[in-house]
Amino acid sequence: MIELTLQALFSGLLAGGYYATVAVGLALVFGTMRIINLAHGELVLLSAYIAYAAESRYGLNPVMAIPLALLVVGTVSMIVYALLSRIRQDREINSLILTFGIGIIMTNGILTIWAADIHSTTNPWFQDSLVIADTLFAMNAEIVAFVGGLALMAAVYWWLNHSWQGRAVRALSSNRNAATLMGVNPRQTEILSFLIAALLATFAGVAIYTGKTVFPALGHVLTVKAFIITVLAGMGSIHGVLIGAVMIGIIESLTVTYLSASLQELAGMLLFLVVLFVSPSGLFGGRRALAR
Amino acid sequence: MRHILLLAALVVAYAGVPLLFGGTPYILGLIVAALTIAGIAVAWALLGNLGGMVSFGHAAFFGVGSYGSAVLSMKLGVPVFPAVLLGGLAAALASVAMLPALRLRGPYFALAILAYAHIFQILATEMTPITGGAGGLLSIPRFPVLFGLDLGGKTGGYVIILTIVLLSALAYDAVRRSAWGLALKAMHDTEVATRVVGVPSTHLKAAMLALSAFITGVVGAFNAHFISFLEPDYAFSSTWTVLPIAAAIFGGYRTVWGPVLGALAIYLLDQLLFKPILPHGHQMVLGVLLCAMILLSPGGLLPALRRRSTGERHAHA
Amino acid sequence: MTRTLATLAATVAAAALMVGLAGSVAQAKDFLLGSELPLTGNLARVGQGMHEGIAVAIDMANKAHAGTHSFKVSTIDDETSPAKAVAAVEKLIGEGVVALTGGYGSNIIGPASEAAQKAGVVYITSGGVTPDLTGRGYKTFFRINNTDGYALAMIGLVQQMAAKKVSVVYLNKEATSNLAKQVKETLGAKGVAVTMHEFDGSTSDFKPLVNKVKLQDRPDVIAMVGYENDYVGILRAAKVLKPDVKAMVGVWSLATAQMAKEFPDLMENVHGTSMLPFPVEFTQPEALEFAATYKKLFNKEPDYLGQFGYVQTRLLIDAILRADAAGTLASGGLPDELRKTDAQTLIGRVTFDAKGDNPHFTHRMGQHQGGKVVLVWPKEAANGAMRFPATPW
Repeated sequence: MIELTLQALFSGLLAGGYYATVAVGLALVFGTMRIINLAHGELVLLSAYIAYAAESRYGLNPVMAIPLALLVVGTVSMIVYALLSRIRQDREINSLILTFGIGIIMTNGILTIWAADIHSTTNPWFQDSLVIADTLFAMNAEIVAFVGGLALMAAVYWWLNHSWQGRAVRALSSNRNAATLMGVNPRQTEILSFLIAALLATFAGVAIYTGKTVFPALGHVLTVKAFIITVLAGMGSIHGVLIGAVMIGIIESLTVTYLSASLQELAGMLLFLVVLFVSPSGLFGGRRALAR
Repeated sequence: MRHILLLAALVVAYAGVPLLFGGTPYILGLIVAALTIAGIAVAWALLGNLGGMVSFGHAAFFGVGSYGSAVLSMKLGVPVFPAVLLGGLAAALASVAMLPALRLRGPYFALAILAYAHIFQILATEMTPITGGAGGLLSIPRFPVLFGLDLGGKTGGYVIILTIVLLSALAYDAVRRSAWGLALKAMHDTEVATRVVGVPSTHLKAAMLALSAFITGVVGAFNAHFISFLEPDYAFSSTWTVLPIAAAIFGGYRTVWGPVLGALAIYLLDQLLFKPILPHGHQMVLGVLLCAMILLSPGGLLPALRRRSTGERHAHA
Repeated sequence: MTRTLATLAATVAAAALMVGLAGSVAQAKDFLLGSELPLTGNLARVGQGMHEGIAVAIDMANKAHAGTHSFKVSTIDDETSPAKAVAAVEKLIGEGVVALTGGYGSNIIGPASEAAQKAGVVYITSGGVTPDLTGRGYKTFFRINNTDGYALAMIGLVQQMAAKKVSVVYLNKEATSNLAKQVKETLGAKGVAVTMHEFDGSTSDFKPLVNKVKLQDRPDVIAMVGYENDYVGILRAAKVLKPDVKAMVGVWSLATAQMAKEFPDLMENVHGTSMLPFPVEFTQPEALEFAATYKKLFNKEPDYLGQFGYVQTRLLIDAILRADAAGTLASGGLPDELRKTDAQTLIGRVTFDAKGDNPHFTHRMGQHQGGKVVLVWPKEAANGAMRFPATPW
């Protein structure tokens, strides 16, 4: 039983890493622009399909496809930003609908280009097992994704707290008017946060392509998961995202181990609701989300 | 003048449409499906406008309503029409479970409702003895023959859903004009002030949530008896959340009739115009349309049409 | 005198023949079939697979009857939605289709075939295996496969392996849980210890589940009932955890050329249902032509979805031609004509009972062996030796 529990915790931790890399980009954009990008999951998916195309057509290692994927995802991300910045009224709800529409366009575009088949890397190294102390098992792909994702998130965290642009991003998210008065160029800062979100999405996409399977409908699933984790963390909190993601990952894998795999999503949702009811603005969200 | 127009519209809706399309069940079926979306869209807009709450989980109410009504009529032999109303009541009851979510705001509330929808869907899958589990329920009783009119058919279904949508929109309008509506509007402006004056804001919000859930549940129950089949993935499908939101926004969610117009426009344009031209990519057109509407006329279709017809120059925005 | 009479008779006969021939040429008809399928949405993949099979059947029929009859199919995407499937069926019937072929997902086929039944139009499918569909006893509903046939194959293979303990890992959807429960009941009655593990479609990390099987169940065989991405997830987890089992067995969508190509390392030695070996061994000319046409149209190897879509459509076309020859097509004779079907097809013998089910349907089991799929069950269909015990790791 101990062996089972340990493996469940380990699997949950790794799954949490995946969830976090997808969610951090969403949280970052929300932090700076107060906008939920409902096409974020589709950006992740797009990156995964670029990696697939590069591998199946040119035999490129998926990791080597990251620069190309970044270029494509970054461009699309900029288009999303350009469209979003044209919204003048009711930004909160209209941006939701706009990005939702973009998500529909992207999902169907991917379906048209790559059909509905499932894909994953054919490179066997990613699926080889890595065993720690004879009790903890993982695929190489999962370890790479976890370590890489963690490093990337740490870099973003450091950047937010220590660089001038990073501070500008945080200033913008806490008080837009004051930040603008203090000389922060909101447009430039927003673009920057969108590009960083694109970088995170690109990495998450390649990670999913190597460790899991991808299909066109996945984008929507990823968006919802990322959205839930962002809210669970408390909107805009980066380290909260990591903790929330790992919590969801672990409660899911423990549910599989002690109850049934068909109840894992139920457990994740219940955890989400319980956290919200106890602390209405998420784990690290301050008091902002409470009804006035 | 307005009354004559309204009367004419009603005559066309109740008599003209069935006479015109009675022979083509395909078209009538599409209109019924569009009106089903319209019903949810009205309920969603009601919650958003009057309650100030954006919901991402109206599928929860739709599913509960449809399962409630189907199970009551199949297992307990309740006649279909009372069962539909009880289905709506079941959805309103389900909204009671969501009361803790009322103190959440904005996206927090929206996602909490989404989580409920997921939870209800999983419960429907796991509660096999009552709901039939993943296999769902087949051969749900259809609407009966009443006054010589077969309500189980396409035309009957059309008349029923049209009535449901009209009554819902009228109820919405009535609430909006009532003292409650005024209080709710005041609440939007400053909730604290309203509370000080003595308006119980949480009660009002709860009432709006229950009303919205009831309407959505009735629409879900209608759909269950019309399609005559249910399964968890279908009953709680995110389609029942996403399409009505898109329809409401497209038509203009700040108006009463915008969501109805939006649902008819989106669904019928998509199925009748875009699908034959682009058999596989037509949903892409829907996405483009949605984006264009947000960017070009954020208030939605109905306000845009009104602006054009009255030639109003002063910016409403 | 007799000579004259004989000449006269011959002339009359020849004339009659001419008239007859001319008549049959004049009767050359264009038959329009309808097809309602999920080409987008959750079931897009399987829907597209069946769609390809239907296209192949139409292409082959046009070639076989060139100059006499021609066939066309009008396809509408049901977007994996029951309401849109009903609308599609009604639209196709409005266009005047002779019959409908297609449909995927029992929950979508249910209402769609009901709409066809109301209009008295034949609906033939291979996309929904639940007993409920044929249980309705519709006169116009036909299906060439069913849960029983899949369960029989899986059970047969597990018994051939003489497994004592089996862990069934299954998706909590309708078709998959029905099949899993049938396997459990039948094997349980035969003294095999069966443990059941249900998972839902959102599961992407199967390690905790497979670890439970590995440490608690310790079975001889892991039986998987799901779809492609579930199999890939389970097999990857198993490959990492290496449970001490003798075989990995699955059902549909697993022993396919596509899976062998996409996941070569993962599939080795895995069993799944398969009607034909891969590469297809051309024992019958029909299979040969089918594979060639498939290659021509879609530039890839046919998979099981294509085979089923092809067979259902071919049987339908045959029955249409018979009904047309008998002059009953216009007067609703097609269901009766289909019910007279008794044909050897790519998926074995097909007949239809009163409810439209195919009582002869039994699937076969194939095993991935070095990029090929070798048939290993039943014995009489086997074209190679079963590797046992053997796993992908």
